[in-house]
Amino acid sequence: MIGTFDIRRLKVPQPTRERVLLLVLIGMIIVFSIFSPAFLSLANVLNTSRFFVEVGLIALGMTLIIITGGIDLSVGAAVGFVTIVVGFSYAAGVPMPLAILLGIIAGVALGGFNSFFITVMNLHPLVVTLGTLALFRGLALVISDADAVSDFPPWFDYFGQYYLGPVPGQLFVFIAAVVGVWLILSRTSFGRYVYAIGNNEEAARFSGVPIRRVKVALYSGIGLLVGIAALIYMSRVSTARADSGIGLELDVIAAVVLGGASIYGGSGTITGTVLGVLIIAALRNGLVLAGVSGTWYPFLLGTLLIGATFINEFFRKREE
Amino acid sequence: MSVHQAPASSRVWPDSAGSLLRRFLLTPEAPALVFLVALVTFFEISTGRFLTPDNVEGVLAQVAVLGIVALGVNQVVLSGEIDISVGSMLGLCCVAAGYVATASGGIVLPLLAAVAMGAVAGGINGVLVAWGRVPAIIVTLGGLYGLRGLILIWTGGTWITGVPRESRVLGVGSTFGILNPVLVLLLLLVVMTVVNRHTGWGRNVFAVGGNRKAARLAGLPINRTRFLTFLLVGLFVGIAATVFLGRAGTVQSNTGAGLELQVVASVVIGGTSIAGGRGSSLAAVTGAVLIGVILNGMILMRVPGIWQNVVLGGLILLAVSTDSLRRRILGGRS
Repeated sequence: MIGTFDIRRLKVPQPTRERVLLLVLIGMIIVFSIFSPAFLSLANVLNTSRFFVEVGLIALGMTLIIITGGIDLSVGAAVGFVTIVVGFSYAAGVPMPLAILLGIIAGVALGGFNSFFITVMNLHPLVVTLGTLALFRGLALVISDADAVSDFPPWFDYFGQYYLGPVPGQLFVFIAAVVGVWLILSRTSFGRYVYAIGNNEEAARFSGVPIRRVKVALYSGIGLLVGIAALIYMSRVSTARADSGIGLELDVIAAVVLGGASIYGGSGTITGTVLGVLIIAALRNGLVLAGVSGTWYPFLLGTLLIGATFINEFFRKREE
Repeated sequence: MSVHQAPASSRVWPDSAGSLLRRFLLTPEAPALVFLVALVTFFEISTGRFLTPDNVEGVLAQVAVLGIVALGVNQVVLSGEIDISVGSMLGLCCVAAGYVATASGGIVLPLLAAVAMGAVAGGINGVLVAWGRVPAIIVTLGGLYGLRGLILIWTGGTWITGVPRESRVLGVGSTFGILNPVLVLLLLLVVMTVVNRHTGWGRNVFAVGGNRKAARLAGLPINRTRFLTFLLVGLFVGIAATVFLGRAGTVQSNTGAGLELQVVASVVIGGTSIAGGRGSSLAAVTGAVLIGVILNGMILMRVPGIWQNVVLGGLILLAVSTDSLRRRILGGRS
């Protein structure tokens, strides 16, 4: 059939989710640029990227977890816990590189702790991570005694305040993570397992997918990303406090859901999540530049989360 | 396949199964009640003045708000869903009641304002979950932040003060020798216990949470049942907000923050299964009292307040793990 003329191949681009999101993003950029000419300046665009990298990194891990039909509400609290581990072990005399390593280990351990209850105790991730949200934040408060640490060695600034020319250093970390997670999700058998679990966990189990190991890897993996994000955040604000990352889970989950991942599991893409992160970053920055009071942000983000999920599931229902 | 009796309620036991004690031990709230008695005995022995009528009533009055909200959320959990928006919802209802109270005085109008506000918020949650096909966790996570944002927008971050005395009667004062908040809590406990045992909706909640597919095949109105659980949370949060306003006398922009964790902890510690279908209203109130006694006891033992979230988180994990083991041992649903 080579060379046959096929009219279907000449169709206009279908309105796939990613293309719609891209249009939304472009639309937002145009609107915000009209409200505030500073919005589209290169300096602003690059500066904004300093703030969304932390959300973006965790959103990458959250995408995989949501694809399996799970969720992790404890990521914001885990960021607080990791900053406390790093900050207070440094303040107690541990050399900074070792403190950083401890922080990363702590992040992975927190994820592993979640995955123990999810896989061994066979509990729903939602209630587990709701409990650990309180537990991690509480432990961070107890360890720090509600105090803060802020005297870090000068080189620690590289994590969150370094610029290569006009480009913030953490943007490279984010790009590397995007490529890495994208490769894992779309080019490895592990990635196929993630989708398989989300589509039908029972069927995946009977097909020999190592469900427990995949889940342990996913929740520990998001712990690793939480650790990296916490270091970047800590360096950016030069402080370790127990309330670091409070409410972060909302930004992260909103970005993933906005990117098209079904909260019921089985679908979602890294491209979508990256677009979701960019839209949320543009929203936050645009509102500030347009002079809208910051008090509007939680309300708008909460509405956006519900609205995006509703649209997702509404269209998915129609497709079925 | 084993043959299951239709779970008309959580307590279908053959009478020949055993003594009264055995029947008690099989109720959902039994472990929490035993634990509560042990804890109270411990505090009574170690402090010597825990079981005075004044102190008992004081503890109950302290947990009234938590208990009332837990009674509502209990229905949601029984139906197999969850609601984590109640902290912000309570704050929003307090703002509504607070503004009305400072403008008009009286108790009826502030109460109506709070209940109406709760009904709208809970109703929206219910519509989105039941018919919008949005998972409860997303709806109520969005609500947790969205409603808190609404409070900030509405009040501009300012406090509401100067609530007149007559608008605070649900929180202060007593009737028939019982503190009003305790009276409201006990009244709602009785109402919910009767509703769960003797009304169609109450039984449907258990059926929908126990086995949704079976409930659908049996022709039960699944969406309406779930919608009403979320609506009920709104109504109860409205009542609780009026009690809260009465006790506190002021409203801040962070009023109710973190309440959702205490509520979820109360419900699951009390013995209502997070998987749905098993539990009781008494379980929710027992859990709330237990949380109240533990937090109160921590103060008596001079444990710093920063430990509170550690204890809450640990208790939630402990309770749901125990529930999971119970289901596995009894061979129930996984």
